[in-house]
Amino acid sequence: MAELPIIKLEDVSIAYNGQTVLADVNLTIPKGKLALFVGPNGAGKTTLLRAIVGLVPIRSGRIVTPFKRSRPAYVPQQKTIDPLYPVSVRRIVQMGLHWQLGWWRRPDRQARAQIDQVLQWLGLADHVNKVFAELSGGTRQKVLLVRALVSGAEVLVLDEPTSELDERSEQEVLKYLRLVCTEQSKTVLLALHGVAVATSIADLVCQVEHRRVQMQQPACHKLHKTGFQTCTQ
Amino acid sequence: MHAIDLIRQFPYAVATGLIIATVCSILGVFVILKRVVFIGIALSEVAACGIAASLMLGLNPSVGAVAVTLMAVALLAYPYELRRIARDAVLGIVFVAASSASLILVWRSGFGLAEVKSVLYGDLILAGPADLRLIICILGPIGLMYLAFVRPILDSFLDRDASYVMGLRPAIWEWLYFILLGLAVAMASKIAGSILVFCYLVVCPAMGLIVSKRFWVVVSISAICAVIGTMAGLFAAFRWDLPANQTACLACCAILVIATAVMPIWRRIMAASIWQGNNGGSHA
Repeated sequence: MAELPIIKLEDVSIAYNGQTVLADVNLTIPKGKLALFVGPNGAGKTTLLRAIVGLVPIRSGRIVTPFKRSRPAYVPQQKTIDPLYPVSVRRIVQMGLHWQLGWWRRPDRQARAQIDQVLQWLGLADHVNKVFAELSGGTRQKVLLVRALVSGAEVLVLDEPTSELDERSEQEVLKYLRLVCTEQSKTVLLALHGVAVATSIADLVCQVEHRRVQMQQPACHKLHKTGFQTCTQ
Repeated sequence: MHAIDLIRQFPYAVATGLIIATVCSILGVFVILKRVVFIGIALSEVAACGIAASLMLGLNPSVGAVAVTLMAVALLAYPYELRRIARDAVLGIVFVAASSASLILVWRSGFGLAEVKSVLYGDLILAGPADLRLIICILGPIGLMYLAFVRPILDSFLDRDASYVMGLRPAIWEWLYFILLGLAVAMASKIAGSILVFCYLVVCPAMGLIVSKRFWVVVSISAICAVIGTMAGLFAAFRWDLPANQTACLACCAILVIATAVMPIWRRIMAASIWQGNNGGSHA
């Protein structure tokens, strides 16, 4: 049976200030897959992800997404949250529930339990009432990841969500993302620098380089289905 | 001479001052967090420019202040983070243009300088029943709307990109906040003067941020500081025959200075008591 595409890019070109960053990108990402975007600095990984979620306008082509009926969850690459803001981890995570709650309602018991469960999974249960700005860089990244995970979004767009994590935490996070794909049929678009570990869990690897995107099969494709394993080919 | 005498003699000034203090100080929390401190003084000057233009044209000064301030807000609410020019620079340009224009308009109006100055920059102690009514009608709904919409406004300011992707419309919430701020500053500056409004927008929220790292506590402390500063300032002005606006500003600044000095000591005492408690617990 053919896999149902959830995101489709047809001849997409993106330009900044008249300069082409990506040209003629054709990409199909099926539902429930983990797509890894790799490439050198400045290749356009972030631009591509931002275009997919609608933060960057495209110059030509077409991006087909289900985001009008089901919003994606997004973890940006940069440190976007100003440390001046006096907000707790819980408040940041609750932002992820906006699509379900709207701007008025407070999370019910079920939603709070869901938040606690994901926080527990990523080892953040003790941080829930702490001030976000006082956490380490890695812990802040995990909090933003939790915000994306609790949102219930079908598609998670994660731009280098493990760049400030230590090796062990990175493996835990990637394992969790693999699990989210396999068990909850969520589609994950993940931009990463350290590809050695990540290719072992990805279904698709998209090489972004020289203004082009090339789709490849991951090197250790057969290993990923049961969860995170080290590539041993 | 007691505070009760002040309330008896200047009931409208006290009530008007307290409403302006509360609303401007809670709005000011985002002025500090968004790092647009200069917006307070720039919008005050814009409002003064609107009043001066209204005097020239024979219109209602409040209408002129609101109209010109809303035009400036439309310009300032644009997300300058994405452009070459920073919002601070735009604020500076708006401030210079508005303050120059208001002086030129005053010069051409034919009114006496002292008269125009009092109309342009206001004096809280002179607030009358009409001012109180105006402030209740405008600042009351502004304060309530702000409290009702504070969550999406906070989310939009906190992480613009993520909130956009999640389906929140950050541009709309930012515009709403700046419109509420612009209206509040335009109305309050006319009655309480630009410096006092600027003080409520900056000094009181700064006090809140020094004392706490919880958003709602910061908002509450900001309002409490503004209310205490206003009452203390008005009382001192009444008692020693001082200018009310400036005395209230100084009172707010004094509270801020005291808080800045006391908070580190308070935190050290709290940390020591927690440490002692933990130590005692482990021995037991």
